[in-house]
Amino acid sequence: MSRSFKQPLSAPIPRLRFVVLIAILAVWVAIIAARLVWLQVFRHAEYAEREHRQQERSFQIAPRRGMLYDRDLNPLAMTVLVDSIFAVPSEIQNKQATARQLAKIVHQDADDPYTTARDIDGRLQRSRDFAWVARKVDAPVAARVRALHLKGIYFQKEFKRFYPDNELAAQVLGYVSMDDNGLGGIERRFDAALHGTTGRVRMAVDARRRSYSSVERDPKAGENLVLTIDDHIQYMAEKALDANMQRTHAQRGTIVVQDPNTGQILALAIRPTFDPNDIHHIRSSMLRDPAVSDVYEPGSVFKLVTYSAGLQTHVITPDSMLPTLGGQINVAGRIVHDDRDAIIYESHRHNVLTATQALEQSSDVAAVEIGERMGKDRFYRYIRAFGFGRRTGIELPAETAGLLKPPARWTATTIGSIPMGYEIGVTPIQVVTMVSTIANGGVYLPPHIVLKNSLEAKGGKLVPAAFHPEHDLPDPLPPGAHRVISTLTAAEMRKMMEGVVLQGTGIPAQLNGYSAAGKTGTAEKIDPRTHTYSKRLYVASFAGFAPVNDPAISIVIVMDAPAYRFHFGTQASAPVFHQLAQEILEYLGVPHDEPLKSTKQMEEIAKARVGGDAPQEHAADLSSLFDEVNHLPADDPLRVAAQPVQANADADEARAYRQPATAGVGKMSIESAIESPAAGPSPPAPAPQDLASSGVLAGTGPSVTMPGFVGEPMRRVVATAANLGLNVRVYGDGVAAAQAPPPGTRIPAGTTVVVRFHP
Amino acid sequence: MATVRVAIEGFREKGQWSAEAITDHNRWLFAAQQRARRGPTPEVFFDKRLDNSRLVKADDPVRQREMRSFAVATVFFFALLMVYSWQHFSSIEYGYHIQTEKAQLQHLQDENHQLGLTEAQLSRSSRIDHLAQQIGMEPPQPGQIVSQGIMDVNSNAPVLASVTLPVVSSSR
Repeated sequence: MSRSFKQPLSAPIPRLRFVVLIAILAVWVAIIAARLVWLQVFRHAEYAEREHRQQERSFQIAPRRGMLYDRDLNPLAMTVLVDSIFAVPSEIQNKQATARQLAKIVHQDADDPYTTARDIDGRLQRSRDFAWVARKVDAPVAARVRALHLKGIYFQKEFKRFYPDNELAAQVLGYVSMDDNGLGGIERRFDAALHGTTGRVRMAVDARRRSYSSVERDPKAGENLVLTIDDHIQYMAEKALDANMQRTHAQRGTIVVQDPNTGQILALAIRPTFDPNDIHHIRSSMLRDPAVSDVYEPGSVFKLVTYSAGLQTHVITPDSMLPTLGGQINVAGRIVHDDRDAIIYESHRHNVLTATQALEQSSDVAAVEIGERMGKDRFYRYIRAFGFGRRTGIELPAETAGLLKPPARWTATTIGSIPMGYEIGVTPIQVVTMVSTIANGGVYLPPHIVLKNSLEAKGGKLVPAAFHPEHDLPDPLPPGAHRVISTLTAAEMRKMMEGVVLQGTGIPAQLNGYSAAGKTGTAEKIDPRTHTYSKRLYVASFAGFAPVNDPAISIVIVMDAPAYRFHFGTQASAPVFHQLAQEILEYLGVPHDEPLKSTKQMEEIAKARVGGDAPQEHAADLSSLFDEVNHLPADDPLRVAAQPVQANADADEARAYRQPATAGVGKMSIESAIESPAAGPSPPAPAPQDLASSGVLAGTGPSVTMPGFVGEPMRRVVATAANLGLNVRVYGDGVAAAQAPPPGTRIPAGTTVVVRFHP
Repeated sequence: MATVRVAIEGFREKGQWSAEAITDHNRWLFAAQQRARRGPTPEVFFDKRLDNSRLVKADDPVRQREMRSFAVATVFFFALLMVYSWQHFSSIEYGYHIQTEKAQLQHLQDENHQLGLTEAQLSRSSRIDHLAQQIGMEPPQPGQIVSQGIMDVNSNAPVLASVTLPVVSSSR
């Protein structure tokens, strides 16, 4: 003990032991260093990613879709946040029972196939990590589901599009799918601008998943659009149209109200219509906007073009004496004759009428006479100048150019048809623009329905632009505007059209306290199946404006296939003008330009027996008219085959239920903690067209019969479609469960058909 | 050891526990230990005087400056560390606050939109028309509407001079 105590401390350590110790330490350090290098250099990205996953939450932030306003900035379409319900199936013990329990609450609409207990259960069984239960549900439904406190059920905020006025201007606005893709009207036409840009947020969260910092790329909200529509005038138009649909039992009805001095559309009402809030009950036939996508033969309303051109070319004057030839005229072997009332009127005046009288009585013979005097080239130039045979450029999707043959393709009898409104296909928008041209003094102003957007607005702030009738044309004229007829000719036409309302076929359109001008029109409807005129279906229309000297509004009313007693424009459409124009002018505060009539006087006018504006029978060469479809641009809605719009909308919704949320909506969605895949918006649905029930239907190429795909495997479906020259859009996998169009439908080759597969 | 114990007890008995007594006691103990260690061999001690007066701490300004710099740097870095820590934790605190405020802003904006929707739904023309009909109101007859300032009366447009009395219709 004492010896060891005395041993010096500085005794040398044996060399070998030292080396071994150092070597062990060196190896230890080397191992640690190597491990650090491995972790921090070679696997840096992997661990950084893992760290991000643990400490950060990353979301796509859906942009708020731009709002649609009327011109007074009343919202027509807006987007608000609502709850969507989703499940993490792995956390649910009894999926079937949970699905049943949820379906009792969320399955509010019997036509909604995605919220049935079977469908929810199917989604819960198929996925382990995520499954939608119901998307974009109402607040009371979400509250009821929350109250269940079900394990594995969560909520996610999503944007939902609302249309506060429900059906108001539905065809103009269109609607959006579950994934915010515009599927009709303005929503589709301006989908890219309205949609906005998706944002992204990366959020640092603590152990309790509370966020304490975030790096954001803010979503760019969609542009707000202000339409030229006046909410109140639109409501008046829709109310009047509803009443008239009930009165006349027409298949369809269209009313367009336009400001003649700017070309702005103040109202565009269409029946039947739909509620864009209720997307499960929207059918493709309802989406069609006949004001721009369908053509019809205007009948006598088109005489306004004939007379305007005749006056402008000095072929006639308002007082020119026109022989009516006993009420009939022979045009290249085809007899054109006036209706019975006109013949009686003419006979009382020795078969010679002034041009004004001829227009008042809607004499077909006189119209043909004027057309022949002008010659087809001059007449055609004026028809084109009034905007027929080409798109107006209105900001609505799927606008057709209409059907107008160039003189080179006119047959010998065409000059006996077009002057009285046959053998030509026009849209209501083209007609109302033509009437406005006469009303504003002879200048064609292209129609518009979009007033401005938020970017164009000064400082990005939108200001109301209440409609006050203008008295002058814009200076300078907008692009596309041009003079068609002189101011004098326009004034003469206005006077002659006033005569139509005062003592012609348009008497039921008379107003109380205001002068009015217009023209009735009746045409036999073309049967799309036989390509012949229907003997019992008519298109009854009225086009006019008021007041006469300083028009504030132009209106066109088109009633498609009204019931028997209302076949003529005089009975079916002129009374609507009376009601609607009166209401609008009073609403706008336009000063009366005539003494007010008593209620009794107005009742007498309403009861007055007015000769109808009977249509010409078999008035046109329909084959040549149908041939004209082949000369339309390839993207014209009359050439594009019927598209399965509804199938696309359904497929869109089915896809929306299959995939996780495409985007969160900001920090509020942290409870869901879903990593969202970037999902580009799907292309908008094609134009809603269903030519089968429109005025004109024409085959434009080889067509095939749609085969039945249901029950077939995907490989066979694709092969069959390829053999027939059809394109297939496939949704899902497994065997075919649904298809559009249905089997047996004749469709042009090259059409894209939709087939939905289920496992 | 027995001797030591006897000595201690001897002092205790005397009751002298002053400093002097303790010093003496310690000296006695030291001597006793020396004796015990030395044994019978005498031990000779020599005094060796050490003069430390020459050891004077030289003034070293460089080192002093270095030390001051070091102290300042240390204080600075410590302060920096403290400030960094403070701002770091403060920023986290503010982060929570900002996130809360953002969520609140988002919530208020959403509520604003929701209220806007409710307002739009309540003020739609069809609803007002329906309510008006429910309480027995009827559309005004031509001439019953008196507009104020809607039309530009100074416009150059021709206006037909007329005097019209509003037609009052008795409803119900």
